[in-house]
Amino acid sequence: MSEIKNITGAEALLYSLIEEGATTIFGYPGGQVIPIYDKLYGFRDRIHHILTRHEQGAAHAAQGFARVTGKVGVCMATSGPGATNLITGIADAMLDSTPLVCITGQVPASSLGNDAFQEADIISMAMPITKWNFQVTSSDEIPWAIARAFYIARSGRPGPVLIDITKNAQVEKLDFEYKKCNSLRCYEPVPNLDKSAVDEAVELINRAKKPLLLIGQGIKISGAEQEIIDFATKANIPVATTLMGISVITDDLPTYIGMLGMHGNIAPNVMTQNADLIIAIGMRFSDRVTGDLANYAKQAKIIHIDIDRSEINKVVKVDIGIVADAKDALLAMTPQISTVDRTEWLQFAKEQYDKEIENVITPSINPDCGPIRMGEAINELTKATGKNAVIVTDVGQQQMFSARYSKFRNTRSFITSGGLGTMGFGLPASMGAKIGAPDKVVVAILGDGGFQMTMQELGTIMQNKIGVKIVILNNSFLGMVRQWQQLFFEKRYSFTELENPDFVRIASAYDIPSCRVTDRCDLKNAIDTMLNTEGAYLLEIAVANEENVFPMIPAGASLSDLIFKE
Amino acid sequence: MKTQEFIVTAFTENQAGVLNRITAVYLRRKINIESLKVSESSIKGISMFVVSAITTEDTIKVIVKQIKKIIEVLDVAYHTPEQLITQEIALYKVSSEVLKDSAKADKLLRSTNARIIEMNQDYVVIEKTGAREEVEQLRKELKEEDLLIQFTRSGSVVLHRESIEDLLQNIAL
Repeated sequence: MSEIKNITGAEALLYSLIEEGATTIFGYPGGQVIPIYDKLYGFRDRIHHILTRHEQGAAHAAQGFARVTGKVGVCMATSGPGATNLITGIADAMLDSTPLVCITGQVPASSLGNDAFQEADIISMAMPITKWNFQVTSSDEIPWAIARAFYIARSGRPGPVLIDITKNAQVEKLDFEYKKCNSLRCYEPVPNLDKSAVDEAVELINRAKKPLLLIGQGIKISGAEQEIIDFATKANIPVATTLMGISVITDDLPTYIGMLGMHGNIAPNVMTQNADLIIAIGMRFSDRVTGDLANYAKQAKIIHIDIDRSEINKVVKVDIGIVADAKDALLAMTPQISTVDRTEWLQFAKEQYDKEIENVITPSINPDCGPIRMGEAINELTKATGKNAVIVTDVGQQQMFSARYSKFRNTRSFITSGGLGTMGFGLPASMGAKIGAPDKVVVAILGDGGFQMTMQELGTIMQNKIGVKIVILNNSFLGMVRQWQQLFFEKRYSFTELENPDFVRIASAYDIPSCRVTDRCDLKNAIDTMLNTEGAYLLEIAVANEENVFPMIPAGASLSDLIFKE
Repeated sequence: MKTQEFIVTAFTENQAGVLNRITAVYLRRKINIESLKVSESSIKGISMFVVSAITTEDTIKVIVKQIKKIIEVLDVAYHTPEQLITQEIALYKVSSEVLKDSAKADKLLRSTNARIIEMNQDYVVIEKTGAREEVEQLRKELKEEDLLIQFTRSGSVVLHRESIEDLLQNIAL
């Protein structure tokens, strides 16, 4: 790009965003970003700004956008409360490795530290939850800072970056010239593959009798969806995904055995305890996956492949650690892998699945009487969308039912708050996902609790005509906490019962067509109507009040201590 | 697992915020930092951090990798005190009474390798460089004699026994 002479810092910021291809911004104006918004007015033909109803919504929407597209999500807020309202979304993006660039306004450099109106030390506050951050106090730093921000956010293990721009830097003039950033001397985003470690890993894999492949979001981020299928197929190894890895591979893969973890499928958890080799790729052994570490995978050797060196040996001691991009590692391993007959081991997986169908899945998705069940609703939705929808969840029981009973044909189709477990994530994240993937059906699956944490975003959906389908599974409880209270606290339902408003009337106040279903016989039609209605739609499904998600590994228990029912 | 002192040395870009990011890695695990020194390394623009804390070897290994993740950190390693040549500088403000018995004062300075760097009617400032134990020993002695008015120390200045600063040569631009 040629130099543009004598423009303001605010204009330089907008030109920088265009240079990075970041032409969708979720934001909220305020005192210390007025100069940026003023210039944005003249950039409306080039930059699509979506005004949310709360800065937290802007951060989550940017996350949804990033997760569905693989691009860097951008959000913007003013100083002080605007910036602090972004914090939850930034923390969420940090734990779920989501690339974000968050731009905040700041009081003029001359007022920094003086407790000026709407001054908050957002750099310090955001430090432990950002991959990098930087305070711009002079306009000529803007192109440099934005170039670094995008490079750092998207490279290696992605994450959120915050750029805080003082008001004086927004109005001062500079001669603008943009240079993209492609390397930093202290930063090695993609480590070189250690060939000897790969050879050792291949040898272990070829010799293993009962190997198990555990894959996470790293496969998605690396774009190794095809490579993992090639590897698993050639090696003939059962594959399980983490919650964050859902939709990386489809259930058409014959060796796919489902989701790991606390509410995962039986086979992956039981087989973890029986495997002689675990190959973990692009996942981080979350406590929701491992349960009690002292009794985790005792019979297995463990190979861990991750792009982030600090993940190796962080919680689980491994036999071989390979610090690499997932795709690089898979491409290096697959040619050396021999196809081994593992009929018995795969048969074991099938037996576990059959057991789960009988004991958990069938009663959950095909109940014969009583109120509608959550699993049943998700299963109907999956049938109606033909596994092609992007599913965005909130946090809690509906999240686990969505993870268990949604099925996918395409990658980047399951968007959830995995690490931070942020209630209120679902609705705003679904807006970002729909804007990022306008041609796909995007369904937000929310509980009555989580919906009410960010339901003001219905205003954003209305104003911007975002065609997201909103499903509220209403059990009039904070269901997951209630489940724990039932199972582990003698049913003392301490502050988990909700008296709810009329969600259908709330939707109609926003001019969003809506419907409430209470009877099983109306469920299918209601879902079809929702999917066939143009634009946004809100479907409230009244579900059983005291349903539990099973199977379950109680917190702190070993994977061997699965429970199936109350 | 047994806890002991581990000294982390880190080389970083000299930029605002790096110190906070490094200390935050300790803070989130509620590990108290016993001693911290930041100064320019042998290369302009590159800072050297020396952070001492008491923890387990498993934990310090993870801490070192998490510090390495900080964008501005060029290199980081952990050591036990034995692996490093460690010296501290201490300053002792002492009552000028100390000079009354000049033979005794002379002996004190000689035996501890200390020197007087400032002197007036009210007090004398003694400077001593040495290992932490030596610095402490002199402090104890002066205190017992009721001569010590003020005391300050630098924190550890370290060099690795092996040559680890070599990596800096690669970026000596």
